[in-house]
Amino acid sequence: MRTAVASSGAGAIGVATLLLAWEVVARLVWQDPQVLPSPSQCLAAAWRHLSMQELAVHVSVSLGRVLGGFGLAAVAGIALGITAGWYRGFGRIVRPILELLRPIPPLAWIPMAIIWFGLGEPSKWFVIFLGAFFPIFTNAWRGMTAIPPAILDAARTMDVDGAELLLRVAVPAALPDIATGLRVGFSLAFGILVAAELIAADRGMGYLVMQSRELGQLGVAVFGVLLIGIVSLVADSALAAALRRVAGRGPAG
Amino acid sequence: MRPSGHDVKGTVTSGGDGRRRSRRDWLDPLLVVLALLLLWELASALGWLRPVRFPAPSRLASSLWELTVSGYPTGVTLDTHFAITMQRILGGFLAAVALAVPLGLLIGWFPLLDRLTGTIVAFCRSVATLSLLPIALVWFGTGEASKMFLIGYGCFWVMLSNVIAAVKQVDPVLVRAARTMDAASFDLFLSVVIPSALPRILSGARIALGVGFMVIVGAEMIGTIIGLGALIMEARTFYRSDITLVGMIVLGALGFVFTTGLERLEARLLPWRVRQGGGPS
Repeated sequence: MRTAVASSGAGAIGVATLLLAWEVVARLVWQDPQVLPSPSQCLAAAWRHLSMQELAVHVSVSLGRVLGGFGLAAVAGIALGITAGWYRGFGRIVRPILELLRPIPPLAWIPMAIIWFGLGEPSKWFVIFLGAFFPIFTNAWRGMTAIPPAILDAARTMDVDGAELLLRVAVPAALPDIATGLRVGFSLAFGILVAAELIAADRGMGYLVMQSRELGQLGVAVFGVLLIGIVSLVADSALAAALRRVAGRGPAG
Repeated sequence: MRPSGHDVKGTVTSGGDGRRRSRRDWLDPLLVVLALLLLWELASALGWLRPVRFPAPSRLASSLWELTVSGYPTGVTLDTHFAITMQRILGGFLAAVALAVPLGLLIGWFPLLDRLTGTIVAFCRSVATLSLLPIALVWFGTGEASKMFLIGYGCFWVMLSNVIAAVKQVDPVLVRAARTMDAASFDLFLSVVIPSALPRILSGARIALGVGFMVIVGAEMIGTIIGLGALIMEARTFYRSDITLVGMIVLGALGFVFTTGLERLEARLLPWRVRQGGGPS
């Protein structure tokens, strides 16, 4: 407990030192807020150019996209992963196809997403979905196939079989792996969101950053970058806390 | 379809059909993929799939040929796109590794330094790399430097946090044992800490390279027409979705070759290595 306090105190000192150094370098050495705005200049620029309402819209639109794509990926990835891991015949058909698609970088789907779904929301959901889907699927599948046979045999001797064996014994045993997949998928979803918003969007945090640069408001752009970082950290730790409650133990990292 | 439990028992009891099983391991996936391609080709031939949305596999093959021989945009052949993309990825990746390894060893070794920088590293790592693209454009222009910066940024923080974690998880008993044998601290570092941190550092490098592959596509989407990421965006603009798909396949193959190559290398160099997750970015 004391070490936790000490370490977060030290972390705060580290952050404060960095911010101070940035402020000093930007104001006294570089002296050009169009190239290197200081932290206080970023905040001031954001205050001047952004209303609270606009900010709330950008954040909520981005979060909506992440949750939409990630939610679809979680449902599809977990369902397919569990099915492919439990019914080996199904797995033998599904896995080769998915393994073939998996190495393609998620962002490389953006052009096809635009061709298939147009420039609106569905194409962004699709790209975010793809980014989050593969780690979720793979981890769920691996969790299902790595269940020690002894556990399943023990359940069978107690006459647990069929759907009950799957839902009450196998899936709970695979939960930690599923939780890991969800966290990996979630952090990928955030990285992809920004790229999807840079290419074609009229709202959202990624759009805010891109637009601010085009308007020459670099301070707002830097503010936007930091905002994306903070929002993704907060969302990630919320997910981690939720998963800890469901899965019993949180995945490391 | 049988539940897996029976299958698992089957492999344990019937040792004799191990050879048949291993042939099945590559034959089954191959058949599945071939069947899928056949279906796809058939559906296109029957006019069920619109060629712009889902170009047929045979079309993709001829596009690959076109891209290799005459290039797209005309004159820029696949090997040029490939070489430029590789150059950007490796440039950014190697710069990131060169910076992150010494810095990570330092931070991981001194607990105070680790506590001071912990929050900063965690935050910078969670900043979405591509959100820096507009800022990179201001700092470095639309040329090569901004792409290398983005790839370097993405790789650097993943690499750094893995190197730090690698040093921190070195068994303290080993370190104390070396101290009792009068190892001087620099010797200790070279002969005890680095070797036992190496597996995690290598898997960090593999993960960082994966991040590089992800970032490059986004970085190439703006301000260039050469490179695999630029190729697929450019082809879409002119409704050449066949070229886009070929580019995606090449990108996927490249990523696959690199990650499995590094995995093999790891296994060869460090046969004693225990499997450890390095975490995503």
